[in-house]
Amino acid sequence: MTSELEIDGLRRRYGTVTALDGLTFSVPAGQVFGFLGPNGAGKTTTMRAIFGVTGLDAGEIRWRGRPVDEAARRTFGYMPEERGLYPAMPLFDQVEYFARLHGMDGAAAEKAAWHWIDRLGLSGRGRTRIDALSHGNQQRAQLAVALVHDPELLVLDEPFSGLDPGGIDDMSSILAERAAAGVTVLFSSHQLDLVEDICEAVAIIYRGRLVGSGLVADLRRGDRPRLAVRVAGDRTGAWSAGLSPSTGAVESVKADGTVEISLTTSADSQEILDLARAAGPVEHFAYEDRSLSEVFRAATGASVGQAEAEHAAASRTAGATTGAGL
Amino acid sequence: MSAGTRSPDAGTSGRRSGARPTRSWQLTWLIARREIRLRAKARVFVITSVILLLAVALAVALPAILSGKNKADRIGVVGGTTTTITSLITEAGRASGGQAVAVSEPSLASAEAALRSGDLSAVLVPNQEIVVNQVPLGGVTGPVATLQQLAGLAKLIQTVPGAAQAVAHGVALPVRGLEAPKASLSSRLTGLFTVIIVWILISTYGSQIALGIGEEKSSRVVEVLLSSVRPFQLLIGKVLGIGLLAIGQAAAMVVVFVIAGFASGSSLVHGATLGVVIAGGVFIVLGYAFYCTAFAAAGSLVSRQSDVNSTILPVQLPLILAYALSYTVIYANGANTFYHVLGFLPPTAPIAMTVLYAAGDVPVWQVAVAAALTAAGTVWMARIAVRIYANSILKTGPRISFRQAIKESRNAALSRAPASAFRPG
Repeated sequence: MTSELEIDGLRRRYGTVTALDGLTFSVPAGQVFGFLGPNGAGKTTTMRAIFGVTGLDAGEIRWRGRPVDEAARRTFGYMPEERGLYPAMPLFDQVEYFARLHGMDGAAAEKAAWHWIDRLGLSGRGRTRIDALSHGNQQRAQLAVALVHDPELLVLDEPFSGLDPGGIDDMSSILAERAAAGVTVLFSSHQLDLVEDICEAVAIIYRGRLVGSGLVADLRRGDRPRLAVRVAGDRTGAWSAGLSPSTGAVESVKADGTVEISLTTSADSQEILDLARAAGPVEHFAYEDRSLSEVFRAATGASVGQAEAEHAAASRTAGATTGAGL
Repeated sequence: MSAGTRSPDAGTSGRRSGARPTRSWQLTWLIARREIRLRAKARVFVITSVILLLAVALAVALPAILSGKNKADRIGVVGGTTTTITSLITEAGRASGGQAVAVSEPSLASAEAALRSGDLSAVLVPNQEIVVNQVPLGGVTGPVATLQQLAGLAKLIQTVPGAAQAVAHGVALPVRGLEAPKASLSSRLTGLFTVIIVWILISTYGSQIALGIGEEKSSRVVEVLLSSVRPFQLLIGKVLGIGLLAIGQAAAMVVVFVIAGFASGSSLVHGATLGVVIAGGVFIVLGYAFYCTAFAAAGSLVSRQSDVNSTILPVQLPLILAYALSYTVIYANGANTFYHVLGFLPPTAPIAMTVLYAAGDVPVWQVAVAAALTAAGTVWMARIAVRIYANSILKTGPRISFRQAIKESRNAALSRAPASAFRPG
């Protein structure tokens, strides 16, 4: 699959804070692509850079092989992390206005605005002021603004934050539908495990650098597959002491006695089954995917929570108004 | 990062329906149009427009109507009018700056009745007394006061042969001035009136700009806007839209001024006074152009709309200074050197030069020089303001000081090849 959007060696410092440190990855067309990492990893700065809203110290962003320019940006749709619309402007006027700012003529803008208002379940609210809409409907209005000009690249910064489970389903089905229509969809999230079922491929970043990217299925399997085994009556996983290092290593033992083993490339799973069976009846024996937050921890040595706490402490000391992530 | 050059063959982008390359001025106009529609529809705009236009109409027409309708003072004369007495009364009217006519009354009783009914202003009983309805505190004024003197004088000179005839030819001596006359009072008042309008329009619409930008920043809609337009376009579209409204309102006021002036026969619409209004119109446009970007930059410094008032105060200070001092020029004979200097400085010229011109203190060519300097200052101000705006509009957190904003915008301009979004033009 060809890459539509290429992020190439982005660097950006705000005073003493390094937001982007040579970030590189690319996004293929027709996929829902997750851009993941803890708060403060540089996601918002990257997305702002795509729209030229923030400057870069180095690096280039290419769209279909060419540096992104204004004409290209006009075919992009953007939902920033800090949601915002004109509070006193009616919904329809607002959506139509943004359609026109993206170059649609009057008639097309009007038609598209009504289409997306209906499609997002806001029928009958077209004449309502934005500040009179409920919080959930304001989120939908924001999405309508991002979608109204039928963008070829859709960039959404934390689209799932603040949504209830129903809202998350609605949002992910719209993203999937847009991707199926050939749109390149890039969204960010700091809730890695929440979105692992929503996107096909991801780029995971930490401290402005890429720490992993690829299909979600590949990342979760990893290069060392994980086997989970539970022997009846063995709550501590004592049987796994007999595991040979050439087969695999114990990652963890859960409270119910399930032993998680990361296998070596030459491992024979049947050998492990024999070993377990010798200790007692085997209740559970299955390959297991890692969660994306585990992938993150394996790659960075820190949990997402630790990384975010560290970022919060650093921003307090720096006291920098970076414009991002505050 | 792309330098943002718009190549005409912008590649595969724009292949979808509706999304086609848009010219820069079209985007700017879209932004301006939103401002005009939004504000022109607002009730507060309609109400203030009506109030301002009524104020202009009244200010022009009222003095003319009052002085025009104020007929000549009718002075009753008991005991028959003579040429001498008639000319005395006419002279008294002229000398006091009004008009007075003599009306013959058959008896003192009928004259007093006419006085009570308001038909007469005063009654003269030659060589005896002057009767008025009520003597005002501090004594009589106007034609009656003058008549009091003249009639007394007439009584005295009746004994001098030929004096009565001399009085009939007028008693006033000609007055000769050593210097050419300065601008008339009506020109000065028009000047004062014009600078009040300049001041009201610039500060009202200027704070609307700052508030509008504060709203875009605090509601965070600006980030969505900046994903498709450049800060320069956004700022220019906003000040253009609001400016067109301001100029529309100013033009309507000038039209009302001229119509009301001619209809009421006001002396304000003649000659030099009309020139003052034209100069005022030019300086409204220039003053707005100079200040609009500064107000925009001030609005971009705050995160909450409620902070806007404190950031626009420094922007308004030069205007306040020029406006406050303008009264000293309007009511004095000639402006001092300091005010002349203010007349040529772009921040104060829109008010100071209009006042100087109205007071007749400067020739037209100096007005033209001041206008040119203000226009040049406008370009300079716009460049600084756009930089501050572009640098501050996405910064949240505490209010940014002007010094900090200027410093940072300079650093940003020097240290980094700016993203296309930050480049004016």
